[in-house]
Amino acid sequence: MNLLRKLLKPRLLFSVLLFAVSSNAAENSNQPVHLKIGTILASNQSDNFDTRLKPIAKQLKVMKYRSYRLLKEDSQSVPWKENATFEIPGGRLLAISPQESKNKQIALKVRLTEGAKPLLDTTVRLQSRGHFLLGGPPHEGGALVISISASME
Amino acid sequence: MRSCENIRGRIGAWLDGELSAADAEAARIHVNACSVCGEERRQLERLDSSLHAVFKTGGSKLAFDPFWRGVEQRITQKTNWYEEFGDWIRATVTAPRLAWAVPAVIVIVLAALSVDFFFPTMKTATQRDNFAAVESIDTYGRNVALLREDETKTTVIWLYQNPETENESSTETTEATPAF
Repeated sequence: MNLLRKLLKPRLLFSVLLFAVSSNAAENSNQPVHLKIGTILASNQSDNFDTRLKPIAKQLKVMKYRSYRLLKEDSQSVPWKENATFEIPGGRLLAISPQESKNKQIALKVRLTEGAKPLLDTTVRLQSRGHFLLGGPPHEGGALVISISASME
Repeated sequence: MRSCENIRGRIGAWLDGELSAADAEAARIHVNACSVCGEERRQLERLDSSLHAVFKTGGSKLAFDPFWRGVEQRITQKTNWYEEFGDWIRATVTAPRLAWAVPAVIVIVLAALSVDFFFPTMKTATQRDNFAAVESIDTYGRNVALLREDETKTTVIWLYQNPETENESSTETTEATPAF
């Protein structure tokens, strides 16, 4: 009983509450999400590998193309639940909206359109600073591969 | 006056031979010259001789041997393991040590869980569950392939189309098979 009383000292309770609040605050941060898009042309017309793609070379090698060229890079900071749009070569548009953060993972709603025609709607959950690849749309004799990464600022 | 008070407080130490040579000489000179301190010295000497006389006559009657034997026994006796363990438990499970141990454990656990947050570039943080998880997908009639590659932690969503359903107006043709 005496031990319990000591454990419930206000100083101790304050410490526990402070840490609980601070860890919770990190999870429910109102900071915007930083999105980074890289549009890559994958083809078999040559064996060239763009050196700017070296950081994701291993990931790109899972696809059966011989050549990878970075066409454009874009980045935007977007508040939660709002849309960031990126122009993709070939008259396409990529709209990304960060939905929520859970266990340090970011849920992204991704929509790819070509003119008025929707090509893809997906929701992907990824680790902050993680990325995934979206590919397939044809372009200049090859295929576009879009690298999408998100991080909490 | 201050010198007189100082010397008077040290007369006992002087008589016991505890002062340095210089201090002892200063005390001797002052006590010989000062009647008050001289009287103090005589009283202390009388007390000292009285105590000596008492110990000389009555000291032999005191039984010191059993007392020293008891002291020796308590010094040398070995405690049982359970008593030592009890002492250790008592020392451990007492405030304030435990009161600080609980928040310390909480801090360590939170720090371990927050490594990714504070050091996002650390290798452990980036390698731990870096897979992107696809929760839902709608490709509006197109075929889609999903690749999750373990070694490089790569997630690829690949759109492709059957040749039969290919849009004839499109100048570019989508591949009929996924690229992996």
